[in-house]
Amino acid sequence: MQFLDLGFMVGILPDMLLAALVTIQLAILSVTFSVALGVVLAACKLLGGRLVGALVQAFVEFTRGVPQLVQISIIYFALPRAGLLLNEFWTGVAALTFIGAGYAVEIIRGAVESLDRGQRESAIALGLSELQTLVLVLLPQVVRRVLPPLTNELANVIKASALLSVISVNELTKVANDLIFEYFVVVEVLIELAGLYVIIIGSLLWLSKHLERRAKA
Amino acid sequence: MDVAYMIESLPRLLPAFWVTIKVSAVSLALAMLIGLSLGIVRSFQKPRNPLALLMDGYVGLVRCTPIIVQIYAVYLLLPKTGIKLDLFWIGVVALTFNSTGYQIEIARAAVQSIDKGQHEAAATLGLGRWHAVRLVILPQAFKRMIPAVTNEMSHLVKASAVLSVISLFELHKAAISLQATSFKFVELLALQALLYLPLILGVSRVARHLEVSVFGFGTKTAGQDVR
Repeated sequence: MQFLDLGFMVGILPDMLLAALVTIQLAILSVTFSVALGVVLAACKLLGGRLVGALVQAFVEFTRGVPQLVQISIIYFALPRAGLLLNEFWTGVAALTFIGAGYAVEIIRGAVESLDRGQRESAIALGLSELQTLVLVLLPQVVRRVLPPLTNELANVIKASALLSVISVNELTKVANDLIFEYFVVVEVLIELAGLYVIIIGSLLWLSKHLERRAKA
Repeated sequence: MDVAYMIESLPRLLPAFWVTIKVSAVSLALAMLIGLSLGIVRSFQKPRNPLALLMDGYVGLVRCTPIIVQIYAVYLLLPKTGIKLDLFWIGVVALTFNSTGYQIEIARAAVQSIDKGQHEAAATLGLGRWHAVRLVILPQAFKRMIPAVTNEMSHLVKASAVLSVISLFELHKAAISLQATSFKFVELLALQALLYLPLILGVSRVARHLEVSVFGFGTKTAGQDVR
């Protein structure tokens, strides 16, 4: 008797790969949106007054301190109440964007603050406004520093996207779960599921380390 | 926001919150015991050592798969091996499996970050290998582990919410089951945040205090660099 049903594993591979593609799409879309949101919020925190800064900080603490699953279920229930009817996929994107934005703010703010003070001072001395300094001088330099942590963040978002299976987004974990309960084959599906995640997340973590080493060099 | 409803449902969430605390605390203790000791062992091994390769593989697997997949795997595979546990202990096994992987990495990084000069100085002073490790290297390494282990604590509390998918009646599960009948999701979210946030911020505070008061040696500025 065979230990693993390899034929079955090959048979479900197309479905699993399609689902992995959905996972990747979810992650890329939400990281893009959360970086955009993160830039705006980080700018508010860096340029705005005390109150704005405190509000942004409260948002950051909230997204980091409350379990991701709680945030996902709240977005799932809150969006329709607010009159925003999205399908499961876009609800998932919204939830991951919300979760990721808190981390993105910190990554971007940290990178901006790590830049030499002289950069800002000389830009101001040349007659640029605070906003111009941020957008034209500081942000371009920030991009290089934020790439490694953002790649890491993409890996985290892929891990978080697995939680979307509870609100029935058809991503990798949900599809695998359905296959388990359709065929009652546990071990084979779980191995394939874990293998796909290891490939995706493992290469992102490797890329993040690689970029970090290059940024330091 | 319906404050009366919040006050009314708080007592119904508290027993579940206690389950959240218990499951995270037990898993944290187990994972620290197993993970930190394995990590210390790992830090003294050569990379080609078979045991080291095994540990690296395990750490890689834990770091590269989502926690929900690990929880499903433990939930579905444990009964297949003939081990019958109740939901609480399945939760403990899943969270311990996850956290052990991260803590091996924490301990390894901390021990390996200690300057080589410390080993050499200890040897010069006439300490044997074992004494050098126990009296010089490990106390410094433990100090460096504290912030990362604190982080791991808050990760575990947050991960325990995912145990709701295997119907362990912890805080999040209790909240969604109340939500299913009352539809007061804003109030229940606020309640969950009010319970999770102080727990997570509280343990970080305690750990930071520990770092300064118990492990405050060797740094003249101890207490100043703490935000």
